[in-house]
Amino acid sequence: MRGLYRRSSLWRTRREAPHSLFFFSNALCTDANIDGVQSSRIKVFDRHFRRKQLDRAAWLMRSKDSFVDTVAENLLDRLEDCKKTFPAALCLGGQLEAVRRLLRGRGAIEKLIMMSASSDMVELCRNAERELQTENIETSLMVGDEEFLPVKENSVDLVLSCLGLHWTNDLPGAMIQCRLALKPDGLFLAAILGGETLKELRIACTVAQMEREGGISPRISPLAQVRDAGNLLTRAGFTLPGVDVDEFVVRYPSALDLIEHLRAMGETNALLQRNTILKRETALATAAIYDSMFAAEDGTIPATFQVIYMTGWRDHPSQQRAKRRGSATVSFQDIQKQFGSED
Amino acid sequence: MVRGSIKLLKDAGSGLSKTLADILVCPLSKQPLRFCEQTNSLISDAIGVSFPIKDGIPSLVPTDGKTLEADETIKTEDSAESSDKHEADRIGSH
Repeated sequence: MRGLYRRSSLWRTRREAPHSLFFFSNALCTDANIDGVQSSRIKVFDRHFRRKQLDRAAWLMRSKDSFVDTVAENLLDRLEDCKKTFPAALCLGGQLEAVRRLLRGRGAIEKLIMMSASSDMVELCRNAERELQTENIETSLMVGDEEFLPVKENSVDLVLSCLGLHWTNDLPGAMIQCRLALKPDGLFLAAILGGETLKELRIACTVAQMEREGGISPRISPLAQVRDAGNLLTRAGFTLPGVDVDEFVVRYPSALDLIEHLRAMGETNALLQRNTILKRETALATAAIYDSMFAAEDGTIPATFQVIYMTGWRDHPSQQRAKRRGSATVSFQDIQKQFGSED
Repeated sequence: MVRGSIKLLKDAGSGLSKTLADILVCPLSKQPLRFCEQTNSLISDAIGVSFPIKDGIPSLVPTDGKTLEADETIKTEDSAESSDKHEADRIGSH
């Protein structure tokens, strides 16, 4: 999460400058574009390469991936917790097809707009659509970038993102754009991979590279920590923020199968400063180290996936909120006297 | 496959579904887009960039946009808009 920290320190210095304070908050709320242009100086991920990866993932994708399906199911399950219905929904990024397949009328969605950065992924969704004729959901497809969301303000009731937003260079910016696209009292629901994800692979890669090449290069992307997720929601201006975490341990026959799975999900290295050369020797050493350090008794290897679910609402007068600071008329010491007597 | 795409085009009418036409804006300037039938593309007048539509699926990734010739665009005076244009030019020239 180095990128995020660096960015936040940059923002803090700007916030301290007295002249730019007003301009800054203005830019943040009304025109995410200005903000996007400025923070684009710090780029962690290669978005162009990420599109290619999603294209490849669309070709490799398994028809049913139990990990992806579980995450999508978990995410969509949250729609059932709301009494509100969501006639117009926007579904972003990552695992579109799983979300569409598992939706099953939840959230009473009437119009679903699906967006991915990869045209092949969108094509895949269109083909999958024909098998889902039973539902009355009007689905529209488009190709777009989460960092430059091409959606009008106040136009959708729900923004869903399943395993996609952790690849954005400017996550707060992308979330602000999502908030602006929402109608008041609209829901933002996202699943991203968290910092504990692939910790075993991180260790194995580091050890193998130290051993074979005498130095390390980033192989696994920096990911948000759980504590960052809450801050992100608040900073993007969502009300009633909620964050919860799920940890999955997936077992694979070998480290190579893990990489195969990551490819099929489009979750392989897309760092801008990635080392494009991977020596065969290092790769095999990584697999061997992974095996010797983490393998279970039955010979399978575990891989941890930490999924952070983020929930936030666009503000609306009907929502509960804390009273203004200092507006209390009763001291906490007298609270017993005030409320205790009623019992 | 062919039948599907024909159906989709018929639904779209102008090559773009009504739902999308209602909500789409320019990804860079967030200004409204204009549909151009001749080139089958969406044009953002604010920054002078056109975005292609393939099989009824609009592509609004900034790097897919093409900058229009100077005489087709409306001149921009606003500093924010010109910085947008600069950004789009930079992306478009890749």
